[in-house]
Amino acid sequence: MDAPLYLRPRVEPPLDALLTDRHFLHSLVDALGSPLNVLLPEAVAKNAASFRTVYDRHHLTGRVYFAHKANRSSALLRRLAAEDPAAVGVDVASVEELRHALGCGFTGDRIMATGAKDAAFLWLAARVGATVNLDSPGELERLSGLVRAHGLGRVDVLVRLSGFEYASGREGAGTRLLSRRSRFGTPLRDTEALLSALERNAETVEFVGAAYHLDTTGLEEKARALEQCVLFMDECRARGLSPRSLDIGGGFGVGYVAEAEEWERWTTALTEAVLGVRPPLTWRGHGYGLRNEGGTVRGAAALYAAHRPTAGPGYLDELLSLPAPVLGRPPATLLLEHLHDLHIEPGRSLVDQCGLSLARVLDVRPADPDSGQYLVHLAMNAGDMSLEEHGVLVDPVLLPRGGTTAAGDGKPVGVHLMGNLCLEGDLITRRLVYLPRLPVAGDLLAFVNTAGYAMDFHAHRAQRQPVARTVAVERRGESWNWCPDEDYWPITPVGEQPDEV
Amino acid sequence: MRYDSITEAIGNTPLVRIDPAVHGLRNIDLYAKLEMLNPFGSVKDRPAWHMARPHLEAATSGDGTVVELSSGNTAKALALLAGMHGVKFKSVTNRMRVPEIKELLLLLGAEIEELPGRSECLDPTDTDDPLTHFHRALADPGSTYLHTDQYFNPRNVEAHAEGTGPEIVKDLDGRAPDWFIACVGTAGSSTGVARVLREHDPRVRVLGLVAHKSDFIPGIRTIDEVHQVGLFDPATYDTIESVTSDEAIDGMITLIRRCGLLSGPTGGAAYQGAVRQLRYADEELDGTGQRRTAVFIVCDRAESYLSYVRQRRPELLGRTGRGRSAAAVTDAEARAEARVIEVDDARRWFAEGDPRPLVVDLRSPHAYAALHIEGSLNIVDEVFEELLRGGLPFSKRTPVLLACPVGEKSLRYAAALSRMGHPDVRSLAGGIVAWRDAGAPLVRE
Ligand SMILES: Cc1ncc(COP(=O)(O)O)c(C=O)c1O
Repeated sequence: MDAPLYLRPRVEPPLDALLTDRHFLHSLVDALGSPLNVLLPEAVAKNAASFRTVYDRHHLTGRVYFAHKANRSSALLRRLAAEDPAAVGVDVASVEELRHALGCGFTGDRIMATGAKDAAFLWLAARVGATVNLDSPGELERLSGLVRAHGLGRVDVLVRLSGFEYASGREGAGTRLLSRRSRFGTPLRDTEALLSALERNAETVEFVGAAYHLDTTGLEEKARALEQCVLFMDECRARGLSPRSLDIGGGFGVGYVAEAEEWERWTTALTEAVLGVRPPLTWRGHGYGLRNEGGTVRGAAALYAAHRPTAGPGYLDELLSLPAPVLGRPPATLLLEHLHDLHIEPGRSLVDQCGLSLARVLDVRPADPDSGQYLVHLAMNAGDMSLEEHGVLVDPVLLPRGGTTAAGDGKPVGVHLMGNLCLEGDLITRRLVYLPRLPVAGDLLAFVNTAGYAMDFHAHRAQRQPVARTVAVERRGESWNWCPDEDYWPITPVGEQPDEV
Repeated sequence: MRYDSITEAIGNTPLVRIDPAVHGLRNIDLYAKLEMLNPFGSVKDRPAWHMARPHLEAATSGDGTVVELSSGNTAKALALLAGMHGVKFKSVTNRMRVPEIKELLLLLGAEIEELPGRSECLDPTDTDDPLTHFHRALADPGSTYLHTDQYFNPRNVEAHAEGTGPEIVKDLDGRAPDWFIACVGTAGSSTGVARVLREHDPRVRVLGLVAHKSDFIPGIRTIDEVHQVGLFDPATYDTIESVTSDEAIDGMITLIRRCGLLSGPTGGAAYQGAVRQLRYADEELDGTGQRRTAVFIVCDRAESYLSYVRQRRPELLGRTGRGRSAAAVTDAEARAEARVIEVDDARRWFAEGDPRPLVVDLRSPHAYAALHIEGSLNIVDEVFEELLRGGLPFSKRTPVLLACPVGEKSLRYAAALSRMGHPDVRSLAGGIVAWRDAGAPLVRE
């Protein structure tokens, strides 16, 4: 066998301590079944605080809005609701998320409504005083109509902008920074209609600022968008409007893999495997979007860059410190000097290190006689933990069941992780995963850092397989306490009844 | 030397011996092929001209655009060549990370298209990358693009097989060196030169240098990226090694400061990679009485990489402070020495002060124009810093109120002005933000 190509996860406190308590994790799965999602509500508060540190460093005011779509947990939301209302809010993208946020303790003024909105969503948002992040002039008209028809109060609105690459900034001829096309937001060059609609509907909506969300890892693109928004808000002020908030969306990233070298070794090996100079690293030689054309690699690897030197708050800090293309001042200075609040909508990065997914090993058998590889069947499917769907590559942590003797020879082994659906395509990951030793039925695999999108985004009841239950856990002295996600409240220790307080 | 066109000055670059006292190899003569002395400044002048020439000489009508995926030297050469022939040049890249190079290209009249970053959320339906779009646009029958295609065009290799390689052999009195060392970008220079050298002597060993995977050296590729290059054939190289940006800068500094060669980072990488590799061979030669020869390429010049160096090794460009500077005031000193004034008191001071204080707003003109304290003067902090180097910019009889966004920068400047002897300078506590939050008036221009 080749040297094992590990992609071991980045594990930070308190998740690291939880992973070492395998008896506790086994007892949870024994009681609640596999798959099982485990959340650490305290970690989300810690992440919010790290983002706030970046705000403080740059003297910025504004809110961190958790992008609810990243995870449907109540515990995480309630824990965030207990944070300083001026500092932490929630970004909801459906009427159900809005209801959930309200039920978890967020008052309307801490809620940002984004995404595609139907009438019910718009009405409830307006009713509770949420800020509506408008996607188009049409949405503005529908919102205004509802406010008039139902005698509601004026609604705070942000306008979400897009198409920054076509903006006629003062960049001078010669340079065009292309952007990924977005289906959201109003193109910057079409804002005239939007502004006149805002002015026309001034009795129903209060224009409080601009927003963008770019699906890119490119800092330059984001810095440019940010600056274009500042210039746009300035034009708005010149027209007598008084916007003061700029919402720069999410996309700050998470580092899943701990070691840069492991990530580099693996991705290099993928290229070599696609070129055929080494054995495949994936189920049936899947190339993750790379292909071999006459000895030259073409295409781009459809993978989440799983090792990142900076992510989350660090990425925000970098963005705020980059010189902006037109005015030259870094975004943080621009915001501060123009007296704007900064809003951000982190999803994945705010729930970094907040949870893991557990799956029980059902069956282990050799893949084929001479490969030395094994098929490991798990009581979980690709919907329960959509690593593939999100292009996230990271190894699970093996949690042997106490007392079992090691199978195989106790040496590292390459395994393919199969799901519990009766489908050839139900693989937990298409990657050949190396484990430090061969698991046996009854062992657990813990997938770390799944709370951001991977945990329940695609989970469904196909084939009547159980959907993962979710529990919140908290360290108490030397041991862990747990409660069902829906029973968590940040006012009582986990596992105790509120009236015990 | 008298030419009719600058293109005739391409090639015939010198081969210069590196002083053994610098590299310390006892049995190997190390030579630098100074491609940086090509007229447009780099090794890319040759392939750029060789690839573009047929297109350009045919482009009589002056329409059309030469396009290339290039972040630097090829773009530079093509932009100049295109300009001479009255056609436009466009560079498409996502690697234009060195600002001087970008600005230089703009000066040359190039258009730059920067490719977007990677998608943060994986979109499984997005099967093609920006480059695929680029190639599709080129293939459009209506397009008037002339794509030089340096990563796949055999004329890139040919330019070096006809020029660079034979020149090295000629300057070594008809012999091939024992080692040839080159950084790999398009693989054009290394492939072309290696081919010619091996024809002379199949024993020549070729060392290809790539950038360390997580690192960035402008102009060269990482080990993964070379596999995306059509001209790259692993069989060309006896060894492929990686170098870090740190090593590249070390090498560059040695070439500049000790050899008088004004090399850029890839020349530095080639030198450093060569010496690292040759040291073992040199030890083995000890006592055998044999001498060997090695040649590496200095691809381009240092000037375009100052910000690259500044980012990685600021101490190499360390600017010592001159004159008085607010930057010299520490936070603690600023707090101890500067006078602050709260918003309400400041408003009273304006109304009743005699003489009235001069309000200086240290924010950028753009922010100032958007909203400011009526009657205030805008001197952006960077300019103010420069002003102070010259001495006190205000009469000591004029009281001064300094304002910035949150009262932090203004505190520093207030301390600096006090040190310079101004008797009545104050910093607005909490800055313009506090002013606004207190409901005090702000006006627009
Ligand atoms: C500065 C610099 N050095 C080295 C190289 C490598 O040259 P080649 O690709 O021809 O091997 C290039 C080309 O991209 C370059 O621009």
